[in-house]
Amino acid sequence: MRFVDEFRDAELGRAVAAEILAAVEPGRHYKVMEVCGGHTHSIYKYGVDDLLPSNVELVHGPGCPVCVIPMGRVDDAIAVAHEDGVIFACFGDMMRVPGSAGTLLDAKAEGADVRMVYSPLDALRIARQNPDRQVVFFAIGFETTAPSTALTLKRAKAEGLRNFSCFCNHVTIVPPLRALLESPDLRLDGFIGPGHVCTVVGARPFEFIPSDYGKPVVISGFEPLDLLQSVHMILRQLGMGRSEVELQYSRVVPYEGNLRALEVMAEVFELRPHFEWRGLGFISQSALRLTPDYADFDAEVRYEVPGVRVADPKACQCGEVLKGVIKPWECKVFGTACTPEHAIGTCMVSPEGACAAYYNYGRFARDKEVV
Amino acid sequence: MSCDRDVGCITCGDTAVELSVQHIDAATGLARCVDEEGRVETVETALVGALTPGDTVLVHAGTALQVTGAGA
Repeated sequence: MRFVDEFRDAELGRAVAAEILAAVEPGRHYKVMEVCGGHTHSIYKYGVDDLLPSNVELVHGPGCPVCVIPMGRVDDAIAVAHEDGVIFACFGDMMRVPGSAGTLLDAKAEGADVRMVYSPLDALRIARQNPDRQVVFFAIGFETTAPSTALTLKRAKAEGLRNFSCFCNHVTIVPPLRALLESPDLRLDGFIGPGHVCTVVGARPFEFIPSDYGKPVVISGFEPLDLLQSVHMILRQLGMGRSEVELQYSRVVPYEGNLRALEVMAEVFELRPHFEWRGLGFISQSALRLTPDYADFDAEVRYEVPGVRVADPKACQCGEVLKGVIKPWECKVFGTACTPEHAIGTCMVSPEGACAAYYNYGRFARDKEVV
Repeated sequence: MSCDRDVGCITCGDTAVELSVQHIDAATGLARCVDEEGRVETVETALVGALTPGDTVLVHAGTALQVTGAGA
């Protein structure tokens, strides 16, 4: 397969690993954060970390869309799903994320009409097919997913649909990164940037990381060789005393992103003054809501949502995992009370969550970890 | 494409996949695309401009985000 086979070549992988080994300074410990949950998943699926020297530590960032949704928003979604006549459309993993009193799957078992969709267009199709029902789409995700929601809302408006609305929980990636960089808990040397988010926003929004914080950023693809090469590019910058944004994933990501996507997002969405992130707390201007022009399609206008902040279960340490402060296996309930089948925390729900990636690929070997 | 509970939801996972364009409906702006295993998906094309059959596009959540290869 084009762009896949050549990026999974074992011999090339060993060659890049040798270059990485040559690029590290003995005695120096490197902490590199992969921002995107898709990267976390690939790293453990392909054993990329096994090819790195022991003094290069990968830290898992807050880029898993499901993992960062706080429990209160799940409770809000369940409340809307229980409204009379509502069909609640939701992406698959989100159905398993626990709120304070269960998941959307539990709500479905209790009688709510919760349906799994792959795309916002699927939810719109359900609305067209059910004109006597109200269809609410649970919109989550970073800038990769937001354009799809925006285009779907434009279609709904153009068609004059009165039975479609959106419970908007789209988030943006730059504010939590800035929050992490300001955090005294964490010292990072560089970032593996989120390739798919950057197909939309481009690389420019990440320039503040080298300019304000002096850290290199490499926008990376998702195959094992992409990730190895990105680590090497970061180490090379550090070795040369450089810090800039580089594009490893240039076969897909234009430096300026997708301008049409940015335009449609600007038409449909505006920034919320603040939004709660699981584990990171409230972050200013870090999430999207619908503009007044789209108020007729805003589920938070159409329905009363509880809007109550809910604290995470005490046993769950997703917050520390999302900030990269602890490794998943350091959480007291990891792999025991909290498993993908019975997740307590969001990081165990989605395969892109750090806990699920560690669990699914058997990363219980603590002696491999450098803390 | 699907949100398979067993293998995880690719939309939730911020995953984008490369698909080949088979047919474009100019009236709706939607394209019929197919992956390497022959699975068919209807894709929104508004963000990538004019497409021709055989083009490959990077698709996330039913929307083409970038053109990654030109058809014949």
